[in-house]
Amino acid sequence: MLFITACSGGTGSGDYHIIYSYETETVTEELPEDQRKYTIGVVPKVKEIMYFLIAQDGAYEAGADLGVNVIYDGPPIADVSRQIKVILELIDQGVDALAVSANDPEKLLPVLQEAKRKGIKVLTWDADTLPEGRDLFVNMVDPEVLGRHLLDTLAWHMGEQGDYAILTSTLSASNQNEWIKWMSIQQQDYYPKMNLVTIAETYDDPQKAYEAAKQLLQDHPGLQGIIGIASVAPPAAAQAVKEAGQSGTIKVVGLSTPNLMADFLLDGSAQMATLWSPKKLGYLTVALAVQLLDGQMPYDGQEIRNIGNIRVKGDMVIMGEPLDFTAENVSQYDF
Amino acid sequence: MISRWLFRIPSWKNKLSTRLIVFYCMLTVIPISLLGAVSYMQYTRSIVEQIGEYMPRFLSLANDNIAFHMQEFSELPSLLFNSDRVLSILRHDAYQSRSTLNQEQFVVNSYLARTYLDSGSPDIIGVFLFSKNRLFYSSRLDFTGLDDSNALLPYGQDLELGGEAKILLPDEFPLAFVNSPPYLLIMKQIQDVDNRKSLGTMLIAVQLTFIDNILRHFDHNDQADLWLMDGAGKIIYHTDEQYIGTVDTELARYPLRNGSFRRGGGKDEWIISLSTSGVTDWILAHSIPLKILTEKTDRARNVIILLFFCIVLITSLLAVSYAIKFTRPITKLSRLMRQVEAGRFYVNLEIESRDEVGILARSFNSMMKTIRELIQKNFEIKLRQKEAELYALQSQINPHFMYNTLETINMAVEDGKSRTVVEMVTLLGRMLRFSLSNRSRCVRIRDEVQHMRDFLMIQKIRFSNRLMFDITLKGDIESCYTPKFILQPIVENAVKYGLNTRKILHINVSIGKELGARSGKEDIVFRIRDDGPGIPEEKLEQLEQSLRSDVPVARDSEFGLSNVNARIMLMLGPEYGLELHSVYGQGTEVVIRIPMITELEMAELTEKLGGDAHGEIQGINRG
Repeated sequence: MLFITACSGGTGSGDYHIIYSYETETVTEELPEDQRKYTIGVVPKVKEIMYFLIAQDGAYEAGADLGVNVIYDGPPIADVSRQIKVILELIDQGVDALAVSANDPEKLLPVLQEAKRKGIKVLTWDADTLPEGRDLFVNMVDPEVLGRHLLDTLAWHMGEQGDYAILTSTLSASNQNEWIKWMSIQQQDYYPKMNLVTIAETYDDPQKAYEAAKQLLQDHPGLQGIIGIASVAPPAAAQAVKEAGQSGTIKVVGLSTPNLMADFLLDGSAQMATLWSPKKLGYLTVALAVQLLDGQMPYDGQEIRNIGNIRVKGDMVIMGEPLDFTAENVSQYDF
Repeated sequence: MISRWLFRIPSWKNKLSTRLIVFYCMLTVIPISLLGAVSYMQYTRSIVEQIGEYMPRFLSLANDNIAFHMQEFSELPSLLFNSDRVLSILRHDAYQSRSTLNQEQFVVNSYLARTYLDSGSPDIIGVFLFSKNRLFYSSRLDFTGLDDSNALLPYGQDLELGGEAKILLPDEFPLAFVNSPPYLLIMKQIQDVDNRKSLGTMLIAVQLTFIDNILRHFDHNDQADLWLMDGAGKIIYHTDEQYIGTVDTELARYPLRNGSFRRGGGKDEWIISLSTSGVTDWILAHSIPLKILTEKTDRARNVIILLFFCIVLITSLLAVSYAIKFTRPITKLSRLMRQVEAGRFYVNLEIESRDEVGILARSFNSMMKTIRELIQKNFEIKLRQKEAELYALQSQINPHFMYNTLETINMAVEDGKSRTVVEMVTLLGRMLRFSLSNRSRCVRIRDEVQHMRDFLMIQKIRFSNRLMFDITLKGDIESCYTPKFILQPIVENAVKYGLNTRKILHINVSIGKELGARSGKEDIVFRIRDDGPGIPEEKLEQLEQSLRSDVPVARDSEFGLSNVNARIMLMLGPEYGLELHSVYGQGTEVVIRIPMITELEMAELTEKLGGDAHGEIQGINRG
């Protein structure tokens, strides 16, 4: 076969005389083989809640699209020490990159830095650590935009006045605290008649969230609005409000998935849910981890295939704009 | 023999002029033609190299431009996400009431028209969107081959493109537009990034005018072709529309994908340049016949060849004429040399030029002059030698005469005629003194005549008055000069022959001045007439012959006449000498003609003949 090729090549060059060639030696594509070897550990805050299960779908989809191994593993509950254990296991499995949704911005630092020492690329997604712990943070939305927008949606439903409470994941969660900061700034700027009564923790657990919501209603009988900023919070709040027979009186908005919120939105016990696509976030996280392993930092306006254009602020990647789910459009989404 | 061979006229091959012309040709024609040929080839090659180098770069730029446009076109489907309404329709299931379906169809179709046809690129001729067994579309042109029943054919909406745009050629898809403009289909999956699901497939039909616009910037020639093909050689665009959709079968044999090469040879040689886009994998190709590129050069070459021949013609003519001009003096010289070889020394090479040939000519002339002088000198020496010999012979007194005279004296003594004895001895003594004295070869006529008279007196005594003579001297010429010993030999001859046959012999000697027809001057003429037997005609001719020819240095019967004649001619020139007139049986007249030599002229003559004449004579005498 080689002989035949050589022969035909020989006769070919008899008829054709090269005058000029700027044939750039095509770099033999060895990268796919390397990429096949990439193993990327993706660690959510907690394994078994809807939000992170959807993100898992996106991460695996990206793994299949890009030809890398994705190990998606997290703690059963949103607990830092459990999460550290999971991370150590992944390090032992020899992952090339770690993407962590951090339960605590500080406590994860030692283990992440150890991973870095072992040559593992570390990035955070969904929830950030302190900058020393990672190379890159994959954020779903701009915290300022999200914080201000969440308060705007509640204000609009509450008529810009009255008491409201916030259900967060934990008081130490950095993302949530950032959003809370921007919510209070937005309230001070535009809504003086509104009053934040308390901030309750849900620990990213639906049961705990439900209990926390009921407690809120008991503690604050004049409460007129609840903002849930953990994905389990708005359904729990809506459930509590519904059970208290106060659907429509106490407005419920916040971050949650359309599937969790669909029933509450449709029966009026919740007014609006806001979120991004967790699938998209999982996909983007894996895609950026691969890109980081290939030695490329993302840049502002870069187009990620099957995602679209991303924005980059320093070492933070912002996936896009938040989506609002209402009774009208909630059926369009399947997460 | 050798000189014959050497001086033979050379053949044309050996001729100097031929060699000069050939040499000129080698010096000018060959280098000029070589230079012309080499520079033409170099120029052609550099044109080929230039186009070979720059065309792929231009193609690469154009290809990048096309790829950029294609990139832009393949970004277009994402414009769908700008409309929540359209997005929600696409997310719906298709199973709804007909009116809802139609309503949604209207919404999406008008969105497509607004977004892609009304405001987008004019190159887009149609947009087709397949979603869940529905077909939404908007098109500038009427089309056939697509409706919602065959929406799945042949690709459908579940195709896995991995987010990449796929480019389809018209023949890969059942779509057909009226007027069948050349177009491309860009197929892209619409991905719902939030739900991570495919919403459908979008097809954008793009007219190839954008490629036209890009490639229009090429300096386009009717015979050059530009075409765009995919990696497998399928032609997407071609300047000649009939090739669109066909496959370039030669692609596999092209030696490269980025660069230029020549194809074929001779008159049908083409230069093909290719550029492969790194983005689309498309190959943009350009081919042009070599002869178009070299058209101008060829024209210039023809003009140069014409000029070349003109110049060669002119310079050849100049060279030939110069060669001829250069060799003409040499030819002339060789001709003259042949003349010289034949003995004609009085030649003159008339060449005025100051160059080496002129120097040669002058040298030749001066050589010839020297040769002539040498010959002259040599010749005159010979003459003088001869004359001296003749003189020496003549100056001797004939021993017979001496014997006869002495015998006569003896008889007179015996007879006791002492008076006669005294007279004869006196006469003989005077003759001897004349012979011995006065070495000069010219004497006064008076003395010469006296010598002759003495001789005749002795003969008269001896032959007892059988001999009668008279001598007449006319004019004042006695003191003029004459060569010595010219009269006595003549009369001796006359006496010798006359007394043999006649009883009484009369000798008449007259000397006078006459105008010479040949010299044109007054000459002195001696006429010695006798009434002897005369000379028979054939004898006379023989004698006259012998007078003209060389003089034998010997004493015989005719010696006296020829000796005298020769000496006069040698001494005084060929126009002087001796003439014979004779009538057989009646007598003979000998005429001696000499110039009039006065005292003054005698001195000149002596000087001319040179004092050394004595030496010569003495030398001869001694020998």
